[in-house]
Amino acid sequence: MIAGRPPAERYTGSSVRRTEDLRLLTGRGRYVADIQVPGLLHCAFNRSPHAHARVLRVQTDVARRAPGVVAVFDGWQMAKLASAAGGMMELMGETNLPSFSLLATDKVRLVGDPVAMVVAETRAIAEDAAELIEVEYEELPAVMTAAQARDGSLPPIFEDLGSNVLFGPDQKVFGEVDRVFAEADRIVKARIAQHRHQNVPMEGRAILATFDQATGELVAHAATQGVNTSRQIIAAQLGMPLEKVRVLAFDIGGSFGLKFGASREEVACCAASRELLRPVRWIEDRLENLTVSGQAREESFDVEAAVTNEGEILGMRVEMVIDSGAYPGFAPGIISTIQEMIPGPYRMRALSFTASGVITNKATYVAYRGPWASETFVRERLIDLVAAELGLDPFEVRLRNLAERGQPPLRMVTGPSLAGLTAKESLLRMGEIFNFEEFRRHQAAMRAQGRYLGVGVATYIEPAPGPRPETPPTELEWARASLGEDGVVSVFTAQMPHGQSHQTTMAQIAADQFGVDFEQVRVVVGDTDQVPEGFGTGGSRFASMAGGAALHVSRQLRSQVLELAAQILDVSPATIDIRAGEVVGDGVPDGRLPLSELVKLARAAAAEGRIPQGTETSLEASFGFDGGQGGWSGGTHCCVVEVDPETGRVRVDRYMVVEDCGEVINPAVVEGQIRGGVAQGIGAVLLERSAYDEWGQYLSSSFMDYLLPTTTDVPNIEIEHLQTIPLDQDVNFRGVGEGGMIVAPPTICNAIADAIAPSGAVVLEQHLPPTRILELMGIIPQPA
Amino acid sequence: MGEQAPARPGRYSPGLPRLVPGTYAAVVLKLPPFVYLAPASLEEALSLHADHEDESRVLAGGQSLIPLLALRLARPEYLVDLSRIGELEGISEEDGAVCIGAMTSELALEHSHLIAERLPLLPQALSFIGHPAIRSRGTLGGSLAHGDPAAELPAVALVLGAQLVAESRDRGRRTIAARDFFLGPFTTALQGDEILTEIRIPWQAPGTGSCFHEVARRLGDFAMVGVAAVARVEQGMIRSCRVALTGVADRAVLRTDGELGLTGESAGSFDAAARRLAEELNPPADLHGSAPYRRHLVRTLVPRVLERACQAAAAGAIS
Ligand SMILES: Cc1cc2nc3c(=O)[nH]c(=O)nc-3n(C[C@H](O)[C@H](O)[C@H](O)COP(=O)(O)OP(=O)(O)OC[C@H]3O[C@@H](n4cnc5c(N)ncnc54)[C@H](O)[C@@H]3O)c2cc1C
Repeated sequence: MIAGRPPAERYTGSSVRRTEDLRLLTGRGRYVADIQVPGLLHCAFNRSPHAHARVLRVQTDVARRAPGVVAVFDGWQMAKLASAAGGMMELMGETNLPSFSLLATDKVRLVGDPVAMVVAETRAIAEDAAELIEVEYEELPAVMTAAQARDGSLPPIFEDLGSNVLFGPDQKVFGEVDRVFAEADRIVKARIAQHRHQNVPMEGRAILATFDQATGELVAHAATQGVNTSRQIIAAQLGMPLEKVRVLAFDIGGSFGLKFGASREEVACCAASRELLRPVRWIEDRLENLTVSGQAREESFDVEAAVTNEGEILGMRVEMVIDSGAYPGFAPGIISTIQEMIPGPYRMRALSFTASGVITNKATYVAYRGPWASETFVRERLIDLVAAELGLDPFEVRLRNLAERGQPPLRMVTGPSLAGLTAKESLLRMGEIFNFEEFRRHQAAMRAQGRYLGVGVATYIEPAPGPRPETPPTELEWARASLGEDGVVSVFTAQMPHGQSHQTTMAQIAADQFGVDFEQVRVVVGDTDQVPEGFGTGGSRFASMAGGAALHVSRQLRSQVLELAAQILDVSPATIDIRAGEVVGDGVPDGRLPLSELVKLARAAAAEGRIPQGTETSLEASFGFDGGQGGWSGGTHCCVVEVDPETGRVRVDRYMVVEDCGEVINPAVVEGQIRGGVAQGIGAVLLERSAYDEWGQYLSSSFMDYLLPTTTDVPNIEIEHLQTIPLDQDVNFRGVGEGGMIVAPPTICNAIADAIAPSGAVVLEQHLPPTRILELMGIIPQPA
Repeated sequence: MGEQAPARPGRYSPGLPRLVPGTYAAVVLKLPPFVYLAPASLEEALSLHADHEDESRVLAGGQSLIPLLALRLARPEYLVDLSRIGELEGISEEDGAVCIGAMTSELALEHSHLIAERLPLLPQALSFIGHPAIRSRGTLGGSLAHGDPAAELPAVALVLGAQLVAESRDRGRRTIAARDFFLGPFTTALQGDEILTEIRIPWQAPGTGSCFHEVARRLGDFAMVGVAAVARVEQGMIRSCRVALTGVADRAVLRTDGELGLTGESAGSFDAAARRLAEELNPPADLHGSAPYRRHLVRTLVPRVLERACQAAAAGAIS
């Protein structure tokens, strides 16, 4: 038994039952709305009914006098308490940011923009009083399309930016674009639209802020993907020293990218608590959540592919426009990833990528599960268009273009190494699972009976965390571990689980590496006083980065503990080991010493000065992981649909996944993540759209209009895990949270496009509700 | 009344907050303030409703009214809850008609043997309304009084020739034929002080067949287009038929065999009639379906539903 070598893995790789299940499935989770605090006040916002207007007057006195109302803040009053500067986008390094305030002062910029805040003894009183506020507006024309934003005919939404163009067009060229286009046999062109849709977590945004006058400290219970990030923003916007702000988070009812940092309403809530010296809570309601919390993915792409008659894709020209919505959001930050990832796992030699961004009077662009996903959608749709143009099978075109694994590894034309790539294996395996030839025969037979069946395939890779060392991590991911006198190993992480089962998977890793039972590991999250630095959960960062940090820190702590035990027991570290929570081996009294006993002995020995110099006596370790050798997640999805030409409805008959997310920590958790992502992909294509009318009124503001997939819309999803290619000596777990949602939309669209191709339909958009399907099939007229 | 609706779990839990009758309900989250009244008898309810005529709304299952209040699209000053009035619930038979108390839940109707036997169209249509949880609270009277232009039950009431009984404190009882009841979107013939108390629906006669079908975005959503049909077939010929549609106009729409040009036609060629019907309607457009889409659904659904109704009639069954 050699100290430092991990014992056989008992937990990693198996579907250990989730620690979270008992509390979450029995309704005992603790969300911001569940927290009880004496003297709690509640708030509600008066919000703009206009998409774009000047605010002339805000009259709050009637509301202020309503029984039970404690305070009302208009934009100017709130601006004295806290600033909107120093928000998430500044934190992410964005420049070219307009100035605005937490609550509207001069202008409102979207329907639902917060104008005034009522703080009252109950939420009901606050809501009733918010209606008593009278606001006088001077309406301005709403900027609702990228074309309107770019042609300069409408007033700028932010005066200080001077125009509604946020950035661009910025062009970046990789490889010899003109040359491959000159060499090409054909050029396939398309304008492809990615529609606006949104995160829709079960729990909306939420915060409970308590300012403590005695200590000058503000404690915020928040629904957030990262407590440290929320803390930074709250401190900056309230003008408080970082150490005076503590952010806590318990259970979080989903987020999918929405809950990063602290939003304007949430910061206003903190400011109100500091001003009123009472705890203040805001729970976003569904109307607010759908209307103003943020929306994602409104992009359009003009693409050209240079192809040979054999189906080889030589290069692409891409021009994209991203609609950033009203307030500064994630749009500018995501461009570089879309640009880098658009070649995907394919061998293309050249790419020209031009991007621009516009500001409109719609909800702010936020990250949504696989925020850069439109690169996969555009590329995978385009490949099918190329196949159609050349009369080839889309499966075949993919196969001809997928990069091989080589030594040295091939690189994407945009730079990253394709080391460890298994995209081709995933496609080939899909070809074994699903008999395409047989399906084509069946499809033709059904077609002869008037039925429209289709199959769709899409292949993708995701940098989760991506190859090393070319893409150094934005920051190290830290984990801290300690052994307590109860013999429990605590692992502290800045990751903030909101549906990903981190408390289970991290404990699996730590239990194996340290040598204790799974139940003997406690994963501590959600407290800025306890967790290490780190921005939180996002970008499929957990598995490699935090999982790796947990692996290394547990090993380090294990060596420390063994060395200490050896000193105390006066044996060689090489003869002892930690197994099932006990120190075992030659020289250990009775052959076994529970860890809790060891901690007591160590404390006593240290107190008596019996531990020699140089021994690491701390029962605590810390490790910052850079991602090791990194690697790709990815795979191929395939689905079969039937389109009903009488109703335009689509039925997903079969959905298959072949995926590689590295070494699987917990298959049940991985499969759950994939299924959830695919369900959201089905929603995106068939049901979900964030729609506005031309005046900027939001049309999808309830669940009658924003339709989410339910169990009856999601088929059984068959999943197969591919044998991964390990790149790192220790850590080969890779992120899997986003992939399902990245690749499901093109998979489903490709299947629908295949099904309705006999009618002459060409699919150049992602959202395909029944009306649109019948329009594309030429069965009903298109709108003028 | 004869057959009693199965007892429902406490109407107030979960979902609706527990209100104290007569209190000013500013304590209720989301809803605008109102005075909550919970009479124990119809007489008392009629009187309270009449006292506050224009400012009062009756509350049945709340599945439509509560969301309207929560979105503050309705702001009654008084809410008269009918749920404690036992006499408004139940299913019985009288003179060849089924008599249904207005407060009978959609779920109770769906599971009633009497309804299955006498009005087989009704459970078929009910199964398309929302989900069981919603149907367990939603009531027949509530759905008809609400008059949603995309709801299923108004179409069923029209196609089956229902008679709706309305009562008021000052003018007593009157009976309104379904044909005269639905006046426009969310607008019915009920006066401000009236309460719908009973719905009488003539038995589906032996020898007739019926069918309901609809297309919605998801299972349980309001219909983009829904079609109800009742037909009597003799020797392969249509003797009589009625078709009602929902989702295609500002209210449910009824067409009889004469209007459809189907009298004496052979039971099987409905395409032309469906096309004519689709052309003459001017269906609305919304996020879920364009006007041409809804028109297309009329063209495809009407023949399907009529065929099944005729098959049922021919099979001698009345289902
Ligand atoms: C998620 C969801 C999905 C739904 N899906 C469907 C669907 O697919 N199809 C469908 O048709 N419906 C649907 N509904 C609505 C449901 O059927 C309602 O229950 C019904 O429309 C109204 O019945 P209620 O008893 O709930 O009435 P309430 O909501 O209590 O009242 C509705 C209106 O009718 C008035 N009213 C009620 N009873 C009387 C009476 N006896 N006399 C006079 N006025 C009265 C009320 O004052 C109010 O104006 C859905 C509801 C939900 C929440």
